[in-house]
Amino acid sequence: MRHFDLRLLAASSLVLVGLAHAARRPQYGGTLHVAIASTPSSLDPAALGQLDAVTCRNLSSLLFDTLVTMDDFGRIRPALALNWQAHPGNQRWQFRLRPGVAFDDGSLLTPGAVAASLRAGNPNWTIYALDDSIAIELNSPDPSLAAELTLPKNSIVKRLPGKVSGTGPFRVSDWQPAKKLVVAASEDYWGGRPFVNSVEITLGTSARDQMMLRELGKTDLIEIAPEQARRTAMEGRRVSESAALELVALVFTHQQPSPEDQKLLDALALSVDRAAIKNVLLQGGGDPAGGILPNWITGYEFLFSTEFNMVAAQQRRAEVPYAPAWTLSCDPADSLSRLIAERLALKAKDAGMTIRPISTGIGDLRLVRTSLVSVNPRVALTQVTAALGLPPPGLSGDNLEELYKSESALLESHRIIPLFHLPVNYGLSPAVKNWGEKRTGAWDLGEVWLGTEKP
Amino acid sequence: MSFRRKLLLVFALTVFISVAAVGWIVSVLSRRAFERTSDDRTLALVKQFQREFARRGDDVVHRVEAIAASEPAAHMAVAVTRGAPDYGAYLSEAKSIADSQRLDFLEFVDGQGTIISSAHAPARFGYKESDLSLTQPISKDAYLKQENVPDGVVLGLFATRAIAIGDRSLYVIGGRRLDKDFLASLELPSGMRVLLYQNFGPAFSAQLLIDPSGTVEQADKLAPLIQAAQQKPGEPTEIIHWSSDPADNESMHALPLRGRDQQLVGVLLVGQSQRSYVELEHQITLVALLVGGAGILLAGLLSGWTAGRVTRPVEQLAQAARQVANGNWNTRVDLRSKDELGELAESFNQMTRELLEQRERLIQSERVAAWRELARRLAHELKNPLFPLQLTVENLLRARQQSPEVFEEMFQESTATLLAEIANLKSIIGRFSEFSRMPQPQLQQANANEIMQGVARLFEAQLRSQRAGITCTLDLDDRMPMIAADPDLLHRAISNLVLNAMDAMPEGGTLTLRTGHDGERVRLEICDTGTGLAPEECERLFTPYYTSKQHGTGLGLAIVQSVVSDHGGKISLESAPGRGSTFRIELPLNMDKLSATQSHAHAAKPASLI
Repeated sequence: MRHFDLRLLAASSLVLVGLAHAARRPQYGGTLHVAIASTPSSLDPAALGQLDAVTCRNLSSLLFDTLVTMDDFGRIRPALALNWQAHPGNQRWQFRLRPGVAFDDGSLLTPGAVAASLRAGNPNWTIYALDDSIAIELNSPDPSLAAELTLPKNSIVKRLPGKVSGTGPFRVSDWQPAKKLVVAASEDYWGGRPFVNSVEITLGTSARDQMMLRELGKTDLIEIAPEQARRTAMEGRRVSESAALELVALVFTHQQPSPEDQKLLDALALSVDRAAIKNVLLQGGGDPAGGILPNWITGYEFLFSTEFNMVAAQQRRAEVPYAPAWTLSCDPADSLSRLIAERLALKAKDAGMTIRPISTGIGDLRLVRTSLVSVNPRVALTQVTAALGLPPPGLSGDNLEELYKSESALLESHRIIPLFHLPVNYGLSPAVKNWGEKRTGAWDLGEVWLGTEKP
Repeated sequence: MSFRRKLLLVFALTVFISVAAVGWIVSVLSRRAFERTSDDRTLALVKQFQREFARRGDDVVHRVEAIAASEPAAHMAVAVTRGAPDYGAYLSEAKSIADSQRLDFLEFVDGQGTIISSAHAPARFGYKESDLSLTQPISKDAYLKQENVPDGVVLGLFATRAIAIGDRSLYVIGGRRLDKDFLASLELPSGMRVLLYQNFGPAFSAQLLIDPSGTVEQADKLAPLIQAAQQKPGEPTEIIHWSSDPADNESMHALPLRGRDQQLVGVLLVGQSQRSYVELEHQITLVALLVGGAGILLAGLLSGWTAGRVTRPVEQLAQAARQVANGNWNTRVDLRSKDELGELAESFNQMTRELLEQRERLIQSERVAAWRELARRLAHELKNPLFPLQLTVENLLRARQQSPEVFEEMFQESTATLLAEIANLKSIIGRFSEFSRMPQPQLQQANANEIMQGVARLFEAQLRSQRAGITCTLDLDDRMPMIAADPDLLHRAISNLVLNAMDAMPEGGTLTLRTGHDGERVRLEICDTGTGLAPEECERLFTPYYTSKQHGTGLGLAIVQSVVSDHGGKISLESAPGRGSTFRIELPLNMDKLSATQSHAHAAKPASLI
C-alpha cells in the first residue's frame, strides 16, 4: 500500500511537471487576435507615418525588416544587414547584406532592391548597390545613421503597383484598409518561422470595445490607455507596460514668442500641477516630465524642472500688464487629452491667465501626445522636434553634453512645455506566451505563441 | 370745377368717409380682441412653462435624492469621512452615475466644499464648489443656476442633497441643462414660440440666445427687450419688427428667471406672431376698399342720374347765359320741368325775350335818333351854303330890276359866288356819301409797326412845313406780333387821328406814335401835347358829326371808330385840358379769323380754266 502510494505520488508529480513543462514549451499554430485603435489606410511603411510611432513600428515589423534593429538599450543589432562599417567622418557607410533573404513574393533581396527602397524615403542620400552590400553617402556626417536605419520608414520594401512586398516574419493574407489586417506566418522567414500561424488585427477599435473584446475572450492583445492600466492590473488582468515612451507636452504654436509670451509661458509652466494630474487623471500612470526625452533614454532629464508653484506663477503673470486669452487645442477624440487640457486651463486661471480649450482648429497652444520613435536620443529628439513643428536640434553627434545643450535650448525657446512621459500598455490574454516585455513597447509577435488558457 | 364733378366728389367723399370710419372702428375692435387673445395665450404658455419647469425640477430632485441614497454615494461618503479622498478613484464616478440617472450635471462635494468628482467638469477635482453655501440650509426644491463647464457657462436646473455620515457630510449636486431640448419639449400653440436668453453677463450677447433649433437669427433685435428685463422689474413686452413686412412682427413677452439668491440667471421670451392679426387687418382693409370702391361706383352712378335731373338743366342754363353774354340774345332753354329748375328756365326764356324786344326798340330808337341827327347835320351843313345862294339870287333879281348896267356888274360876281357854294355843297354831300360807303375790312397779315411808320412818313413833310414845328416820335415795340387786319383801313384811321392831333397843336408840340402788345391784343397809341379835351367833350367825341373844330364834318373819328369796331377792337381816349390827348386803339390778333377767311377765300375762289 505504501509503495503504491509512493508510486502514485511520483507518477502524479511527473504528470504535473510534464504538464507544467508542456505549458512552457513553444507551440506552433493558432491565430493571435489583436485589436488596436489605429486605422491605417496603407501598409507601406512610408505611409504609416500618420500613426503613432509605436503602432507604426509594430505594424511594419510584421511585414518588413530593416537593415539593422535596436534593442531596448539602444544597441544596434544585425537584421537584413550582417555587418556594417562607417568610414571615418561618418559620412559614408557600407552595409553587407544577409544572403538568401527573399521577399514574400519569392524574389531575392538584392542590393539594388535595398538601395531602391532606401532612396524612396531618403532622397538626400546617395546610395550605391554593390555586389553584396550597399553604400550610403551623406551630405553631412551622421554618426547615428545606423539608428536611423532602424526606423520603420527605412524598412526594406519592394514597391509594386498597388502592392508592397517585404521580407518580414509575416505576409499579408487579408487586407481591408482601416478595418482589418490578417497576416500569415512566412514559412521560410530568415529569422525563423513564427510560432503562430497568423495574426488577425482588428483596426479602428475604441478602447472601450477593445476591453469588451478582451472580456469576451475574442482578443489576445489590446491597447490599454495609461489611465486605465492601474485599474486593469488591480482587477487581475494581465498588463504589459513599456518604459515611458510617449511625450505629453504643450506646444506654443507661435513661431517667435515675444518677451511677454515667454513670461506667460513661464507662468503657465509653473501653474501645471503634474502630481495631481498624474494621481487623478492618469490614475498614477506616467511620469512628470521636465524634459522632452525621458530620463531612461538620456539620463539627464531629471535636471529639468517640473516644479508646481502657483505663487511664482502668479508673480510671473503679474509682470505682464495685459495677458491675451489663449486657446488650447487637443485631439477631440482623446478623452485623456481633453481632461488634461481642462485641468491646465483651470490652473492657468488660478495663475491669472485665460486658457480656453477648443475642440476644433489649431489654438495658440496645442496639447500633443507623441511617441518616441527610437531609443537613440539623437534620433528621438530629431524626430520629436520634426513631429511637433519645432526647430531641429542641429546635432552633429551622439555626445550627451551636446544633446543636453540642444534640448535645453529647445526648452528655453519657450515653444514646448513637457508635461508627462507615458508608457505604452497592452492587455494580454492568458493564452499569450513568451510575450517579451520590451522597454520600447515593441511587438515581437514572431516569438509569441499561444497557450490553451482561457480568460 | 363743374357742378356735376362737385356732386360726384361730394357723393364719393361721403361714401369713402363712411366706409373708412366703419373700417377703422372694425380694425380697432379687432386689434383689441386680438391683443386680449394674445395676452391670454401668452399667459397660458407662461403657466405651461412654469408647470413644466416645476415638473422638471421635481424630476431633478428625485434623481438627486436617488443618487444620494445609492450605494456608490454612500461608499464615497464613508471614504470622505476617513480623510482626504482619492480623487483618482472617483474621477469617472460622477460621470457614470450621471449617465445612469440621465443628468447633465453631477458633483460630489465634501463637507469643506471641495469637489471630489464632477460629471460635467471632471478636471475640477480638488476645487471648491463656489455655489454651495455650507452655512445656509439646503433648499429642498430645485433651483436655477449658472454652471461652469469646460466649454463655458450654461444654465441648468439643479437640486442639492446631503449625505450625513457622522459629523461629516457629502453633498450631491445634480442638475439638467436648460437648453434647446428643454424648449423643444414645451408644447406650443400655433404661431407661438419660446426663446431662452442665458444671462451670463451684463452685456447682451447674441450667442446666449437660443431657441429649440439652437441659435436665433437677428438676435440683436431682441437686445432692447432683454436689457429691459435685466434692468427693470416686471415682465416687459415689446413688438419686434423682424422685417419690413408687418406680418413678420412678433409680440415678445420677457419672463425673468431667477436663481436662489434672486439673481437674474436667464430670460424666457414668449413670442406670438402678429401674422394672423395683420392678415385679418389686411382683409378688413381689402373689404373696406372693395366696399368703398363699390360705394364710389354707386356714387358715380348716382351722380350721373342726379346730373340728368339737376346738373344738366343747370348746365343748359349756364350755356344759355354764356351765349347771351356773347351777344346771342335769341337763346332759349328747352327745359320741361315742373320744379324750380323749370321755373328758372322759363324765367330765363322770358328774360331773353324781353331783352330782344328791348334791343329791337333800342335799335329802332337809335336809328330814329341817328336819322334825326343826320337830318340835323345835313340841315346844318346845307344851310350855310344855301343862305349865300339865296342872297346871291335875290341880289341878281334886284339888280336886274334896277338897271342893266348894275345887273351886268353884279352877274359875274354873283355867278362866281353861286359856283363856289355849289362846289361846297358837292363836297359836303361827297363826305356823307363816303361815310355811308365805308368798306368791310379785308383781313390779311399786317404789321402794326409798319402801318405806324407809313403814317409817319406820310405826314413827315407836312409836319415839317408847319409854321410851329411838330415833332413826330416813334415808340414802337420790336416784338409786335402780326395781326389780321386791313392795312389800308388802319392806315386811314391812324391818319385821321394824326390829323386831329396836328389840329390840336396849332402852336406846335410832340406827336408820339406808340405800339405795344400784351399777348392777345396789340395796342396803338397816338399822343399829342395839344390843348386837350374836357371830360364832356371826350364823351361825345366819337359821335358821328360831332366836332370840336370850327370846321369839318365831324366824321373823322366816326370813321376811326367804325374801322376799329370792324376789326373787333376798341378805342379809348385819355385827355385833360392843357395836357394833350392820347387815343388808344386795342386790336385782337385775330389770326384764327385770318385762317378761316383765307380758307373761305380759297374755297370760294373759282377754279381757273385751263
